Amino acid sequence: MKEPLVQLSNVELRNDRGDFVFRDLTFKLLPGQSAVISGPAGSGKTSLVDLLIGLRFAQAGAVEMFGELLKKRRTGAIRRVRRQIGGVGGPFGLMPLLTVAENITLPLVLGGVRRSVQRERLFKVLTEFSLLKQASEYPHSLTRVENTLTQFARASIANQPLLLIDEPMAGLDRGTWERVHQVLEKVALSGRSMMILTSELPPQELPETSYYQLENGVLQ
Amino acid sequence: MIRVLYILRELGRNIYRNPGTALGSVLSLTLLFLLFNLFWVAAGTSEAFYRELLAELRMEVFLDEGMPDSTATQLPREFYAIDGVLTAEFVDKDQARKRLTDLLGMDLLIGYDTINPLPRSYVLTMENDVLNTSDMQSIEERMYTIPGVIDVAYSRQFLEKAESTRDLILQVGLFLGAIILATAVISSSNNIRLMTKARAIGFRQMRLLGAGKLFVGLPFIIEGFLIAALSALLSWAIVWYGHSRVVFTQFSVVLPTGDDILLFCLAAGAVGCISGFLGIRKALQ
Repeated sequence: MKEPLVQLSNVELRNDRGDFVFRDLTFKLLPGQSAVISGPAGSGKTSLVDLLIGLRFAQAGAVEMFGELLKKRRTGAIRRVRRQIGGVGGPFGLMPLLTVAENITLPLVLGGVRRSVQRERLFKVLTEFSLLKQASEYPHSLTRVENTLTQFARASIANQPLLLIDEPMAGLDRGTWERVHQVLEKVALSGRSMMILTSELPPQELPETSYYQLENGVLQ
Repeated sequence: MIRVLYILRELGRNIYRNPGTALGSVLSLTLLFLLFNLFWVAAGTSEAFYRELLAELRMEVFLDEGMPDSTATQLPREFYAIDGVLTAEFVDKDQARKRLTDLLGMDLLIGYDTINPLPRSYVLTMENDVLNTSDMQSIEERMYTIPGVIDVAYSRQFLEKAESTRDLILQVGLFLGAIILATAVISSSNNIRLMTKARAIGFRQMRLLGAGKLFVGLPFIIEGFLIAALSALLSWAIVWYGHSRVVFTQFSVVLPTGDDILLFCLAAGAVGCISGFLGIRKALQ
């Protein structure tokens, strides 16, 4: 049996006031599976992303990513997990002092991939996301749409097994969203896994994807 | 290799994007190190001067009038048995008189041609290692245990003053060194912290992409090393230039050896590394 990419077991998380964000949250995502988790503001989507990338830690239960248990002091495990995630939106932003091209290739640099391969893959994703013109620009000069597309390009270049997307539709016009949707569709069919957390459901359904509703810290 | 190249490129960028901060750091550290270097040279020169003076120090051992010359000539064997005694030169009564005359410029013993009251003695030279108050005192005590030795004389006061002066220089040096070390660490780590503040968002992103602390922090640590080592080198270059342009006639200035300077620059670089680490530490948490 395949090892789950994401496994939350009876996770309990409280906010600073001591109120429950999650109580007994259980969720599993196997390789190749994708999930869209929707919920209104304050339902715990951002907290869930934080748990998955080791920015916050469960007070009870277990968060396992790629078979690694995420705990506060396990910085090595957190680093390894983060390298396997392509992140878009939410906490994942662009590095302001790097150009678009440098931002996109960063996961390859961290993975120690050769420069010739980096250039090759960079050209491919720049073309795919129509960012060739912006390659040498810095994030501050990008539009919101270009910024989001750059994040998608960065999340795609290293073919990490999991794409974690927080509010993919935020700031995108319909035309751009359709382009992004095509990318997501391709990812869903490619065997890579996706977790999309969104407050509004995408207008079109994605193939091979399960849909969940997160409300008051409970996943349905 | 790719990661190393990236780190080096980031290092170049840090300096390129903040040339004022980097230059400010180099100049302020150069001034600090220059102050330290000048003190080092002054301490080294005074130490050499002190050594030269000490090399002139002699211990004179006066002998009992009743001791026959044949016994007195056997004494060097006993002197040499004492650790630190280098040479022993016998001074008989006539030589003592001549020395006194040479010293005063006139013969005070006119009329004492038959009865010379000056005692016979041995003038001892010492090894450099024992030219300090405690060793000289213990040698003096050993001398008194030798039969026939009635008095021992040496410039005890001079030795004590020279030692206390040397101790004072050492203490001032340590104090100055501690202040300079603290200032260098605080000043350069603050500069690096200022640079990192502007890049805090970037660090967070790097960490979210799975970059380790070392990967993010290493450019700043290397930068700290380079700035401090370069400043140290520059400060010695200034001292060297000054030394080559100014001629001292009364004494010769003693500069540290090339190896010492290299070590100093490396130590300064290590201090820079610590500063870099302290500067980046908070940003990486």
